[in-house]
Amino acid sequence: MSNNVWQCITCGFIYSENEGLPEEGIPSGTKWLDVPDDWCCPDCGMDKSDFEMLLINE
Amino acid sequence: MSLPCIIIGASHAAVQLSFNLRQQGWQHDIIIIGNESHMPYQKPPLSKSIMSQQKSLEEILLKKDEFYQDANIRLMLNTNVTEIDRSTKTIKLANGEVLAYSKLALCTGAIANKISLSDKPLLGVHYLRTAEDAAKIQNQLTHAKNAVIIGGGFIGLELAAAFNQRGVHVTILEAQENILQRVVTSEVAQFISSLHQQHGVEIKNCCIAKRLTGDSYVSAVVCESGESIPADLIIIGIGITPVTTLATKANLDVDNGILINQFAVTSDPNIVAAGDCCSYFHSIYQRNVRVESIQNALDQAKSAAASIMGKEIDFSHNIPRFWSDQYDIKLQMCGLIDGYDNVEVINPQDYGQLSVLYRKDNKLIAAVIINNPLMMKQAISAIANQEAFIH
Repeated sequence: MSNNVWQCITCGFIYSENEGLPEEGIPSGTKWLDVPDDWCCPDCGMDKSDFEMLLINE
Repeated sequence: MSLPCIIIGASHAAVQLSFNLRQQGWQHDIIIIGNESHMPYQKPPLSKSIMSQQKSLEEILLKKDEFYQDANIRLMLNTNVTEIDRSTKTIKLANGEVLAYSKLALCTGAIANKISLSDKPLLGVHYLRTAEDAAKIQNQLTHAKNAVIIGGGFIGLELAAAFNQRGVHVTILEAQENILQRVVTSEVAQFISSLHQQHGVEIKNCCIAKRLTGDSYVSAVVCESGESIPADLIIIGIGITPVTTLATKANLDVDNGILINQFAVTSDPNIVAAGDCCSYFHSIYQRNVRVESIQNALDQAKSAAASIMGKEIDFSHNIPRFWSDQYDIKLQMCGLIDGYDNVEVINPQDYGQLSVLYRKDNKLIAAVIINNPLMMKQAISAIANQEAFIH
């Protein structure tokens, strides 16, 4: 299964679709598109539009 | 009639707390009281994108006006609170007005530490904590040639980078042996020092500013060594102090910040607090800490909102996280660099990246990571799980 990873361009926080953010109520495996629109970056408070997909080699 | 939740301080923590309350179903009024004239804004860009002119104040507002209106959150700006009376559950404003609350939240933040270096106030000398401070610095930057920054902390370094990129010559005076000495170790300090020096910024370590000279406008800084450094712009960035005056007057427990428990509740069950003004017992580091970061403010605000709603969210095990932008690098920190017995430096020769891992008893306790966000993510996880983080 491919894992898309998104990075907050403001603070560098990483969201991994495989891992989700269970502590924020977002289960593992949650696609970025399915992350609630009002969710904010836990490190800097920016919204989803401040994230960009990160290309990684895994 | 049900009484409101009043939030003192129009900070990032305050806004997070207020909207969380609404999301969780708080039915009554919410009032945010702030002593600045601006709508609540993000603070980190003041030393970053605002200073480099990439963003305007409008662009760093936390929410637009209509969001507050839609959520029925009332903003009282330009307003000072002078007193909390816990026995009557009221607060008093500077204009004498008294407001009653059912729940109170203290998000009073922190203020810049000040020093006096001249007999009379000189123009051109600034601190940076508020949007108003940033606007004053911006105005002066258009004609500044030589800036001296007193204090080599993150604020000073971010401003140095922004000034440098706007063509201003910058000298940083650091009283300690290394910049950032309060927060990181020499490996990181040297990397950051080199970065600034490569851009032409001068860093003078072990250099203490003794006095400022000038008529109405500042013209130079005289150091304890006797050296005089010409300057038409001075920034003093020597740390911050939590604003605890109201809490102290109200006899709440205060110790290097307003003391809160793991659910962001103060020593009064009807009063919560969040942000830079708070100290708490960290359950992983097993000591009292006060953390100055957005992540900390957001985490505590979420817990505070839950507590008001009668729920419990424990934030005390969350790993402190922080970031800094300087030139083209993004520095990220996680954990607390204190009491380590082992330091591992990764990629020390690589200009673009550096990672420094701090361990105690073979468990990762902190990391400073430059330009490697994926490693940052792994490090946070390792600290939370009390692992060594062998990679």
